[in-house]
Amino acid sequence: MLNILKSTAAALIGAGLGLYATWSALERDAGFEMVQVGPWRSTPKAAFAAADPYTRAALARNAQVPLSPGEGLMFTADIDETGAPLLTRCDYILTSPIPAARFWTLTPMTSRGALAPTGNDRTGLTSAEIVRDSMGRFEIVASAQLRPGNWLALPTEPGFMLALRLYDTPASSLASSMSVGQLPRLRRGRCI
Amino acid sequence: MSDRTLGWFIYLLAVLVVAGLVHIVTILALPHVATRDSYARLATIAQTNRFTPLPSPVPGAELLPMQDPAVVRGVCRYDVNNGPVRVRAEIAGLDGLLTLSFHDRRGASFYATTDRGGVRGRIDVVLLTRIQLEALEALDAEDEPPQELRLLAPTREGFVLTGSLALDPGDFDAARGRLSSISCAQENLRRQ
Repeated sequence: MLNILKSTAAALIGAGLGLYATWSALERDAGFEMVQVGPWRSTPKAAFAAADPYTRAALARNAQVPLSPGEGLMFTADIDETGAPLLTRCDYILTSPIPAARFWTLTPMTSRGALAPTGNDRTGLTSAEIVRDSMGRFEIVASAQLRPGNWLALPTEPGFMLALRLYDTPASSLASSMSVGQLPRLRRGRCI
Repeated sequence: MSDRTLGWFIYLLAVLVVAGLVHIVTILALPHVATRDSYARLATIAQTNRFTPLPSPVPGAELLPMQDPAVVRGVCRYDVNNGPVRVRAEIAGLDGLLTLSFHDRRGASFYATTDRGGVRGRIDVVLLTRIQLEALEALDAEDEPPQELRLLAPTREGFVLTGSLALDPGDFDAARGRLSSISCAQENLRRQ
C-alpha cells in the first residue's frame, strides 16, 4: 500500500517538474540555435521545420512567423552594448555599420515583444528615411523625447526591445559567423 | 548504503525519469496540439485559396506577434486537397520590396522569395501534391519547359505570407498597391 502511494507521488511530482521545465523553457525562449552578437540576438533558422524542438514549440505557442532566410533576417536587442537592460527613460545612440541589405527597418517594441504605442504615428524607421553623412555613416537616437536628426520614438513603458530587420540580405546565411563589428553599436546616452 | 536510503534513491530516480519524459514529450507534442498557432490565427480571417490582405498591426491588436509594422501583409491560405494552388505576383515595373514565404500547416517555412527572385516579370509558383505533380508532368508539352516553379506542399494545408515594405509613413498606399499584384487560386488539372 505504502509503495503504491510512494510510486504515485513520484509520478505526480515527476510530471509536475517536467511540465514546469517545459513552461520555463518556453518562457525564456530558449533555443539551441540562437546567435548572440553583442547586444543583438537572432535565430536565423527559426523559420524552418528543421529548427530545434524548443524553437518550434515556442513558435507554435506564440504564433510567431519568423522571417525566412530567403526574405530577410531579424535581430532583436533588449540590452545595450554593456549588457544593461534597455530603458525608455534613457537615450540610446545606434551607429553604423549595418550588414548589407536592400532594405532594413528598426522597430521599438515592449519588453514582451509586442508593438507599443509611441505617442505619435511613427512605428519605427526604415533604411530609406535615414540621413547619412558623406561616407554613408549614420547615427540614430532612440528616445522617448523628440530628438533632432534620425530620431526613433520610444514607447512609454519603462522597458523596451529593439527589432532590426534586414530584408533581401546575404547576412541570412552568415548570421552564425557574424562579429560584433558588423552590427550597429548600441550605446546608452543621457537618462532622465 | 542502507536499504532505506536505497529506497529513497530509487524514488528520486523515478521522479527525474518521469520529469524528463514529460518534458521531452510536451516539447515535441506542442506544435501538433497548439490550437492558437499561426495557421489557426490566419484561418480566422483568411479564406482558402484566395488572397486576403491582413489588417495593419496596431498596438494591442496584432494577429501575429513580432511582425514588422512597416510591412503590409497579405496571406493566401492554401489547400491542395482538390487541386494544385497557383500563387502569382506580377512584379514587372514594381518598385520596392515584395516578399513571399511559403509555410506548412505547422508554420514552418519551405520556400521564400522576394521580387528579386522573379523570372520574366513575375513570380509564379504552383503548390501541389506528388500525385498532382505527376499528372501535371504527363500533360506538359515535351518541347516546352514549364514556365512556373512547382513546389511539393509538405502538408496539404498551409499558408503563403506575403509582405510589401512601406519605406515611410506616406508609402503605405503604394505598399498596399504592390500587394494587390499577388493572386492565389486553385488550378484545374485538366488542361486544354
